[in-house]
Amino acid sequence: MNFWSQALVEAALVGGLCGAVGVHVVLRRLSFFTMAMTHATFPGIVLAALLGVNLYLGGGAFGVLVVLAVAWLANRRGAEATSSVGVVLSAGFALGVVMLSARAGFSRDLSAFLVGSILTVSGADVRVAAAACLVALVTLAALGKELVFGAFDRQGMIAHGYRVLALDLVLLVLVELTVVTAVPAVGTILAVALLVAPAATARLWCGGVAGMTAVAVPVGVATAVVGVLVSEAAGVAAGATVVLVGCVVFAVSLLVAPHGPLRSARSARRRTGRPAPAGGRLAGSLAGYRYRHDGEET
Amino acid sequence: MIGLLVDPFGLPFMARALAQAVLLGVLGGTVGVLVLLRRLAFVTDALTHTVFPGVVVGFIVAGSGGVLWGALVAGLASAALFTLVARHRRVTEDASLAILLTGFFAVGVILVSRRRAYTSDLTAFLFGRILATDAGQVAATTAVLVAVVATLVALRKELLLRAFDPVGAAAMGYRVGRLDLAVNLLVALVVVAGVRAVGTVLVIALLVVPAAAARLVTDRLGALVVLAPAFGALGGWLGLAASFEASVGYGVRLASGATVVLVLVGIYLAALLAGRALPALRGWLR
Repeated sequence: MNFWSQALVEAALVGGLCGAVGVHVVLRRLSFFTMAMTHATFPGIVLAALLGVNLYLGGGAFGVLVVLAVAWLANRRGAEATSSVGVVLSAGFALGVVMLSARAGFSRDLSAFLVGSILTVSGADVRVAAAACLVALVTLAALGKELVFGAFDRQGMIAHGYRVLALDLVLLVLVELTVVTAVPAVGTILAVALLVAPAATARLWCGGVAGMTAVAVPVGVATAVVGVLVSEAAGVAAGATVVLVGCVVFAVSLLVAPHGPLRSARSARRRTGRPAPAGGRLAGSLAGYRYRHDGEET
Repeated sequence: MIGLLVDPFGLPFMARALAQAVLLGVLGGTVGVLVLLRRLAFVTDALTHTVFPGVVVGFIVAGSGGVLWGALVAGLASAALFTLVARHRRVTEDASLAILLTGFFAVGVILVSRRRAYTSDLTAFLFGRILATDAGQVAATTAVLVAVVATLVALRKELLLRAFDPVGAAAMGYRVGRLDLAVNLLVALVVVAGVRAVGTVLVIALLVVPAAAARLVTDRLGALVVLAPAFGALGGWLGLAASFEASVGYGVRLASGATVVLVLVGIYLAALLAGRALPALRGWLR
């Protein structure tokens, strides 16, 4: 395979993997947590690069540490989850930057970690991505029902005697695996986009978790591949273009999808015969916003 | 020991960096209390990323003088956008924020990638150059500090009510949406003020860590408002001194902005220990 088809295969694999796992990130509102994982994976990758260890191993091991740190900090007195995630996120990132700065002449690789460089992926990267896809596929197929149950009715699941914590851990390790796999393609800062955007897009197009997955995977694959092609044609950064394509797809879906805000507001109006909220859609947005903003933790 | 903490700042550029770091620490700690109470850490993180394309456009259009204005426009625009976003129940607020954040950031990266000095520019934008602070930047940060503190003092009653009882505030006729917009704008201002010094990615530490550390050692809001800025300023001072000492005394180059963040995290960990030790001590004395 030449580097070009290799990059496209890598993009397709990473896009599909992110789409499938992203469904669960979106359902459980784990976006900020995933963000922290991507940022905290960064020092692990830097450390692995400095020591000459396998990048995936270094990043993954550090990511698991981060999961444990957040879980521990969030359970302290006076702490709450959101700011614990924030603390861990900035600590991880600063650690990575300090380690890099201590090692002179490292700035080229720094940006490769931050924003990815899909055109330089190796055959090993592609094989890792394929293996990660397989692991995710098997895990989601085996535990899909339980994962969805936990996302929607945690208390009910505890009452049924499931090991909820073990299940949470499985999901978090799965997300970390996905993040580490996506880093060579889109980098640590932007990996979260590939996880969230296709799944959120799918949520606008259909109901049901199976339907969402069925839409999110092809959307993820298409986003990644189209992004790489566009970036090649326009001569701009590949990882960022992939992300931007994902955002555009989401924005367009907001406008035209059957469950998007525009279409669903219109059809609700048709059903109830009531006019839009007073002051137009904008005032309605603020009214809806204020009741949901609190009490939602990541 | 005291010499290590004072001597480096005899150099004019270090003195300016110190002034900037302490001002930013106080600013971040003050607004951070609000971020903590309202659980806005993710919104803050999103703002730090969405300011990035503004920084890049400002730099391309008007050189380093344009960075502040570009960041200001992008920060205010995204603060307004965040206030409107996520009304829709099918896509939760955190997912919309993540998409907006990465989308804006990607625009910034694409713009930078068109430039020839791609990687060094990117690094400067992301991690800042606090040692290159000039007098004008210090003055700008001071102005932002005054404006932010004045706003907080003027709106303290409303903001607190909104933080603890949003439904009650709405029932009493307060415009909750506008209050939220005000808070987001304040956070955006702090982010913009910190961008040139510590970079877009590390500003979040100034806004989250000092307040979270203060929260670990006190339950009272009054103490929180005093401790958080103090922790922020302390982190700025110690971090700069440590990074100077490491690079001059030991030949290890530590990025100043990131060292400040690591010192802040150290303060957080110390507060974590103190928060556990203090009740035990009180129990022992009683």
